[in-house]
Amino acid sequence: MIVTPRIFARLAAIVIVAVLLQLSFFSRVELVHVSPDILPAVVISLGLLGGSMTGAVSGFTIGFLVDSLLVEALGASSLVLLAVGYLAGLFRERFDIHSALVPPLLCMVLTLVAELGFGAVQLMLGVDAPVSVLVIRDMLLKSVYAFFLGWPIYFGLRRALRPALVEESRVSRRRQPTILGAR
Amino acid sequence: MYRKQVRRRRAVLTFLIIGSFLLLTITYGQRSGGLQHGVSTIFSPLQSAADRALKPARDLVDWFDKTFEARGENSRLKDQLVVARRQAVAGQEALQENAQLRKMLELDRDPALASSAYEPVTGRVIARSPTVWQSAVTIDVGSSDGVKVKDPVVSGDGLVGQVASVQGGSSQVRLLIDNASAVSAKVLPEGVQGVLRPELGDPEDLVLDFLNSSRSVRRGQSVVTSGWRAQGLASLFPPGLPIGEVTEASIVQQEASQQVHLRPYADLADLDLVQVLTGGSRG
Repeated sequence: MIVTPRIFARLAAIVIVAVLLQLSFFSRVELVHVSPDILPAVVISLGLLGGSMTGAVSGFTIGFLVDSLLVEALGASSLVLLAVGYLAGLFRERFDIHSALVPPLLCMVLTLVAELGFGAVQLMLGVDAPVSVLVIRDMLLKSVYAFFLGWPIYFGLRRALRPALVEESRVSRRRQPTILGAR
Repeated sequence: MYRKQVRRRRAVLTFLIIGSFLLLTITYGQRSGGLQHGVSTIFSPLQSAADRALKPARDLVDWFDKTFEARGENSRLKDQLVVARRQAVAGQEALQENAQLRKMLELDRDPALASSAYEPVTGRVIARSPTVWQSAVTIDVGSSDGVKVKDPVVSGDGLVGQVASVQGGSSQVRLLIDNASAVSAKVLPEGVQGVLRPELGDPEDLVLDFLNSSRSVRRGQSVVTSGWRAQGLASLFPPGLPIGEVTEASIVQQEASQQVHLRPYADLADLDLVQVLTGGSRG
């Protein structure tokens, strides 16, 4: 991704709108007793479009904003979201996205990773209350929602960031997947 | 060139990871208040505007969800209605009797009761946390409305939680189902006391722990805040605020783990308007 000042402004707007949408809309609606979480899907999509650095930085920023706005432990969400953003970016750097199903599938899998990661961070920080098995249902359903929401999010963001993306048609991406760091 | 890029990427990643741990350290060192306060103050008007703009869309999704759920709930509610009617009749009789007794005894409100000092401030929920591990909402009233940290928060149905932090025009409320929540409560009418804790992940299940009585608790009994006061210290919650209804209370469970389960009266998953009880005791 070529980050010009204009693209940077777009990325900042995407981050802020995503956080506001999550806290004011998605967290407050329930489908089968579970609220969708679009933030991992947004971070994953940005990672898939912009690479590991864009994914990690946007994940860190979104996590920081969420923790600040809800006055929760700063750094917990940042750590988890930067990890999933980085993983999504690594995937993009190593493999070609051949099918339109890849982004939503990745959103589903990495959202589950984010939910597990977030649970692990919370448990490490100390949870005094007993944990219900319904937490597992919450994680699984959030991942399923991420699959369905990941598709419009990924293609919407691709459209919004199109000027910054290297045109896939112009660049041959038929090379073999390479291992990061190898010559 | 490629190696340089990889090195730069690793440096940024390391910087971000260290940054996250640094933020966690700052949070647990209790020095993050100013930073979070600043971000919240900047974003609260945006959140408020987003909340109002997105309300119709939220209501639409809620309508679909609730219609789906209502089918199964209908028969259960019919059964509850019969019981509620009986209780309402009994309640009206009790109210009449109460009024007569008060008149007879010229009973004034006890000035020692903390509840008399509370002033309700109505607020609207403008944001909610996205995970089940932390259950907090942001409301559109803050210190300029008289709200202070640790003020109790109620909805029309009962206790919702307490204020965790305050900015000028907004506050964060830690709900009863947050992992850090603990409320002293008692079961009516016996007055069996305990500490109310959440069961993480299930917004319709609370656990009344450390029951300090040999008297057993039965399903269907109401649980209210105990609002204790002793040796100059007082509970943060006024006494008698309704919390929920006992749903599971087996003798084995009570004897083995000294706990019973209850369902909160307030719909903690779907809050819109709440009241902050300001001006009360802060222990």
